[in-house]
Order: sequence, then structure tokens, then C-alpha cells
Amino acid sequence: MATVTDRAVGVSLVGFSLLLFTYYSIWVIVLPFVDADHVLHHYFLPREYAVILPSVAALVVLLCIGAFVGAVMLKNRKPKKVD
Amino acid sequence: MTKLLEWVGVALALAAAWALVALDALDAGVPRALREVAWPLPLYLLVAFGCYSLATVGYRVATFNDCDDAAEELRAQIGEAREDLTRKGLKW
Repeated sequence: MATVTDRAVGVSLVGFSLLLFTYYSIWVIVLPFVDADHVLHHYFLPREYAVILPSVAALVVLLCIGAFVGAVMLKNRKPKKVD
Repeated sequence: MTKLLEWVGVALALAAAWALVALDALDAGVPRALREVAWPLPLYLLVAFGCYSLATVGYRVATFNDCDDAAEELRAQIGEAREDLTRKGLKW
């Protein structure tokens, strides 16, 4: 069975993704249809960050994955056979 | 038509539709709000997909369960295999 920790981690992952999805949806989809001087705009960064932040995050994630794969491959490289 | 061409065609059609709305490629007077929504839409879809993946992983982690029946079955099969191999003269 999933332990208490498993359940906590899983539920928090689901919650985080739901939160992120809701926030980003409002930011990208809803905000252009809201008046520019509405209170809602105070809770969001300027619109260009809606593209910049995910791009930077994707770049960082890809770099981390690349570094991890590279490190694993370096570690597992078999020493060349000496004749 | 190969599968590749099919996919490229679909991708091109989607990109054209996106450019038509987001960049107002034909100067058709797409409303400003609509253009602002459409412009980051590819990235939005990517983010949505990421969120869905994360939620799926989280849900599966939270509801991870033991397969007691399967474990029992597997144990029985291992026992059978051992018996069979012993009968055929394999020494453990």
C-alpha cells in the first residue's frame, strides 16, 4: 500500500499541478478579456512573463535532464579493453 | 502519403491557423484580446500537458497499491518452475 508519505507527496503533486494550471489558465486565457485597470491584474506579472518564465523553466529542466543523463553515461562508460 | 507527410501536413495546418489568428497574417482585423490569447497558446498547451502529466504521476503515487494476488500467483509459478527444473535434473 502507499504509505502516508507516498500519499502526501502524490496529493501535493496533484494539488500543485492543479494550482499551476488554474493560475496559468487565468493568466493566459482570461486576463486579455479583463479590463486593464481591473484588480485582477494586480495578481499577475506582466504578460510577457507568461512566455518567458515557462521557457526559462523548460530550459532549466532540459539542462538538468541533460546533465543527469551525461553524468550517468560518463559513470557507466566501460573502460576500454586493452589488448 | 506516408505517415510523416501526414503529420507534417497537420502540423503545418495548425501552424497556419495559429499564425492567422495570433499574428493576424491576413490583416483580417482579429480582435486584440483574441490575438493576445492566441499568441502564447502553443506554450499554454505545453504547460497544460505538463500539468496533466504531473497530476497523473501524483495521482498514481498517491494511489499506489500492492498487488497481493499477483504476488501470490508469481510465487506459486516460481515454486512450479523450481519443481519442474529439479525434476529435470537442475541442481540449485
